Amino acid sequence: MSKHKQILLTNVNQPDQHLIEHAIKRGAYERLQKALSLDPLKVIEEVKASQLRGRGGAGFPTGMKWGFVPRDSGKPVYLINNADESEPGTFKDRVLLERDPHLVIEGMLCAAWALQSEWSCIYVRGEYAFPYVRVQRAIEQAYEKGFLGDNVCGSGWKHHMVIHRGAGAYICGEETALLESLEGRKGQPRLKPPFPAVAGYYGCPTVINNVETLSNIPWIIDNGGEAYAAIGVENSTGTKLVSASGHLNTPGVFEVEMGYPLLEFIEQECGGVRDGNALMGVIPGGSSVNVLTAEECEGVRLDYDSLKNAGSSLGCAGFMVMDETTDPIEAVLSLSRFYSHESCGQCTPCREGAHWIEKIFARIARGEGQPGDLELIENLCDQIGGHTICAFGDTMILPYRSFVRKFRQQFRERITQVLKGGESTRNPIDFEIGMH
Amino acid sequence: MSEAQSQSEKPPMVTATIDGQEVTVPKGTNIIEAAKSVEVEIPFYCYHPHLSVPGNCRICQVEVEGAPKLMIGCHTQLTDGMVVKTHKTSELVQKTQASTMELLLINHPLDCTVCDQAGHCKLQDYHFEYNAKPSRFLEYKQNKPKAVPLGSTVMLDGERCIACTRCVRFCDEVTETGEIGLMNRGDRYLISVKEGKELENPLSGTVVDLCPVGALTHRDWRFNTRIWYANPTDSVCTGCSTGCNAKVFERDGQVVQVKARLNSAVNKEWLCDEGRYGFDRFLPRERVLTSSVKGEATSWEEALAKVTPLKNGKTLLLLAPDLTVEEYSLVEAFRERCLQEDSQAVVAYRSRELSRVEEILVSPDYAPNFQGAYFSQERLRPNGAVCESAHREEREQAYENALREVKENTFDNIVFVGDRAVCDQDLADMELLQAISRTPFTLGMLCDREGALYENCTVVLPARSILEKSGLFLNGKFRLQYVDRVVPLAEGAFQHWKIFGEIAASFGKPIVDARSDRDLTLSYLGAEPRVAGITIRQVKNGGIDLLTYVPAQEGESGESSNVEVSKSSE
Repeated sequence: MSKHKQILLTNVNQPDQHLIEHAIKRGAYERLQKALSLDPLKVIEEVKASQLRGRGGAGFPTGMKWGFVPRDSGKPVYLINNADESEPGTFKDRVLLERDPHLVIEGMLCAAWALQSEWSCIYVRGEYAFPYVRVQRAIEQAYEKGFLGDNVCGSGWKHHMVIHRGAGAYICGEETALLESLEGRKGQPRLKPPFPAVAGYYGCPTVINNVETLSNIPWIIDNGGEAYAAIGVENSTGTKLVSASGHLNTPGVFEVEMGYPLLEFIEQECGGVRDGNALMGVIPGGSSVNVLTAEECEGVRLDYDSLKNAGSSLGCAGFMVMDETTDPIEAVLSLSRFYSHESCGQCTPCREGAHWIEKIFARIARGEGQPGDLELIENLCDQIGGHTICAFGDTMILPYRSFVRKFRQQFRERITQVLKGGESTRNPIDFEIGMH
Repeated sequence: MSEAQSQSEKPPMVTATIDGQEVTVPKGTNIIEAAKSVEVEIPFYCYHPHLSVPGNCRICQVEVEGAPKLMIGCHTQLTDGMVVKTHKTSELVQKTQASTMELLLINHPLDCTVCDQAGHCKLQDYHFEYNAKPSRFLEYKQNKPKAVPLGSTVMLDGERCIACTRCVRFCDEVTETGEIGLMNRGDRYLISVKEGKELENPLSGTVVDLCPVGALTHRDWRFNTRIWYANPTDSVCTGCSTGCNAKVFERDGQVVQVKARLNSAVNKEWLCDEGRYGFDRFLPRERVLTSSVKGEATSWEEALAKVTPLKNGKTLLLLAPDLTVEEYSLVEAFRERCLQEDSQAVVAYRSRELSRVEEILVSPDYAPNFQGAYFSQERLRPNGAVCESAHREEREQAYENALREVKENTFDNIVFVGDRAVCDQDLADMELLQAISRTPFTLGMLCDREGALYENCTVVLPARSILEKSGLFLNGKFRLQYVDRVVPLAEGAFQHWKIFGEIAASFGKPIVDARSDRDLTLSYLGAEPRVAGITIRQVKNGGIDLLTYVPAQEGESGESSNVEVSKSSE
C-alpha cells in the first residue's frame, strides 16, 4: 500500500469494481449527482482552480482547454476520451479502463456536463481488446441505471456515450489524427489552425482529454479545485499515475504525488533496480522524451518543472528504467524501429527521416557504422524537428538526439571497433533491413 | 440586404512584407500566392490553387517573424504587418528546402534516364535550384510496384511517387469519384486504386498533369519521346466550347503529349480525356492536299475557275464551328459582297448529353467557337443577360432549319467550310447526303479525304486543319482566347480565310489583305470596335472576358500596342 494519496487507484484492486452495483456501493456516480447540481461554468472554474494539467503527454491545463470551447457556436460540442494509449512504456490508462471503468465514465460525464456536451466517445486503441470489452459493458450498465441516456439521473440533461476501437496506429493518439480516424478516414494529423476546440469532430467544437485527466474530475468535484491544487507541487498539482517498466524488481502502475523524488520512486515503489545492478539511465515520460543518465537523475523529482529543468519531460510518465547491462545502441534502435513503423507518412521530413535514421542505427548496431554517422543522425534530427504538421517529428528526435549525445562513447566504440576489424557482437540476421 | 452588399464589396486587403518588398493582397491569400504577386517563387509540390491544402510536402516553408518555427506558405494566410522571409533572404529557409529535397530523393529511384517526366519534373527542377548536393543516403531504397495500370489511361510507378496526394484529392474533390487513395504508412506509402475500382472517369488523365513527378504517366504516350525534343505550344482545346487551355507538345508533325495549362477562369488546370487524348483527332490521316473537281485532281487555278456558280443563285454557307473569329467575320464580308442577298451562313451546332463528371468541365456541344460565329454575325456587344442556353438553342434551331432546307433542295449552292461543317451524326443521314449530291453546285473547303463530305462535293479546295491555324476563339462564356498552330503546315493546304480571299479576289471583289494568320488577327483586332484595345498577348495569357470588357475608345492605345506586340515577337 502506497503512502501516497490515492485519487485514481483507490478501487482498482477490488475484483468486482467493474460491476456497476459494486462500484456504486463504493461511491461511484455520487460525484456526478453533485456535478449536475452545479452550474456547468462552476465546474469549469473548479477544474481551473485545481490546475489540473493534461495527462496525455503535453501537460496542457485542462480547465483552460475547456475554456476555449465556444458556447454560442450553435453547433454541438463533443467530448472525446483519448484512450489510444500507445506511447511505448505507458500502460496506466489500461488499469483504469479495465479495473475501474465507472470512474472513467463518471469523469467523462462530469466533463461533458461542464461542456454541455450531449455526445461523447471513448477512442480506445485497437490492441486493448479486454479494456474495450470492460468499458463497453460498463457503458451498457450505466445506460441501464440511467446514468447515460436521454435523461441523465433524472436531470433532464441528455448524454450519450459510445466506444470506438482504433485500428492500432500510434499516430491516432494525436488528437487531430484521432478525429480523422473517428470520422472514418486514414489517421493522419490535420493542419492547425483550426484547433479542435473550435472545429474538431465533423467541424464542431471538440474537447479531447486523456483517460487519466478525465478520471481526476470526480475527485475535484467532490473535494474542490483548491483541495486538488494543494496536492503535489507548484505547477504540477495532484497525483500522477506512473507506468514503471524495465529493469525493476517490481514494475507496475503507481500513483504518486507530483514532486516525488525520482530515485526514491525507483527504490521505494519499484523495489529498486533488478539484481542490485547499477542504473544506466531512465526515460521518464514515455519514449518520446530525452533520456536521463543515472547522474542526471540525482535530485530530480517527478513533476513537470523538475524534469523539464533536468532536460527531459514528464510526458505521460511512461517510466522506463535501464540498468548497466543495457546496450544503449540497441535500446535506441528499438525505439527508432517503432517510430519508423508508426510515422504516418504524411510529411516528407518525418516519413523519410524516420526510416533513414532507423537504418543508420541498424547499421551501427550490426557493426557497419561509419565515421560521420552520429553527426549525420544529429543533422537529420535538425531536419525533422519543427518541420512537420504534428508533434510526432518533434518528439521522435528527442530520444535519438539524447541517446547519441549521452552515450556517445558507446556509439563511437561500436563504430571504431568494427572499423578496426573487430568482430561484431550482433547476429546480422536480427537486423535485416526492411523487416517490417 | 446588408449581406448582399457585403458580398458585392471587395474583400478587405492586407499589407505585409515579403523579402523586404511590400505586398498588398486580398485577405485570405496564402503566402505562396502573395509571393507570386511580387515575383518571388516559393517552391511547392502538394499545393494546388484549386484543391484543398494538405501541407505535407514541406518544401514551401518560409520564415515568419514572430512565429516559433517555420510556417508553410500554402496554409499560412498573409496578415497585416506580417514579415515573411523566403529562401531569397533566409538562410534557415534555404537549409530547410535543401533538406526537404534531400529527404524526398532518398527513396526516389532516380531513374531520370528512362522517366517520361524528365525535363519537366519538379524534383529535377527543385533539386537543381534548392539543393544540388549529392545524397548522403547509404542505405537500401524502398522497393515498390512499378508499371501498375490504374485504369485505361494512367500508369503508376510507385517508387517515383512523393505522396503529395494531388491525384487523390483531385478524384475526391473535383470528380468526386474517389477511385484512388494513398495506402500504407510511413515510407511504405503507395498510391493505389481502391478495391474493386479502376481509375476510369472522363477527366482521369488530369491526374498525370497534377503529378509533379513521374509517378503517373499517360499510357498512350509513355516512352514516346523525350520532352525536350518536342515543340511545346500554348493553345486551346477545340473539342467543345469550354476552351480549355492546353500546352501541346509536337514532334515530327505528331502530337506527342498534351498538358493542361492553369487558367482559373476557364479550366482551372483540368482537361478531359476526350480533348487530351483526342487532341489530334482534327488532324486527319488522309489529307486533302490538292484541289479537285468532281473527284479529278486539278490545279488550284482550275479549281478556282470552277467556283463561279456561287455568283448566282441562293447559297448556303455551312460553317464548321472551329473557324476562328476572324474567319467568321471574313465569311460575313464574303457573303455580303460576293453572294446573292438571300444567301445564308449557318454554323454547325448540335447539343450533346454529358455525364455527371463531364459536366464539371465539358460544355454540352462539339462547337468550340459557335459564339465566335454569333459574335461576327450579329454584330452586337455580347450581353451577359442573354442566357447561354438560349443562345445554344438558337444555334441548334438555325442549323436544323438549314439542314431541312437542304433536304428540300431550296439552295442552288452549298459551301462546306471545314470538315465539321456538318455534324457527325448528320453525316449518317442518307437522306441529307442524297439531297447534298442533288444540289447543283457544292464546294468543300476540306482537309479530310476520308470524310463523307469529300465524296459529295463538286469542287474541293484543300484547307488546313484547326491544328495548323491560329486565331481568336470565343468560348461558350464569351471569353476571347487564342488558338495557336501546334503542328507544322501541310504543303498545299490553305487557311479557310485565304481560300475565301482568293475566291473573292477571283470575283474581282477583294476582301482581305493579310499574309499570315497573325496579320489577319492583328488587322481584325485593329478594325473591330468591340475588341478595340485588346492585344494578342492578352488573349494568349488567360484570355479576355468580353461580357465585362470595355473596348478602348478610338485614338486610344489599342492599335499601337498591337504593333508593339507584333514587333517584339518578330
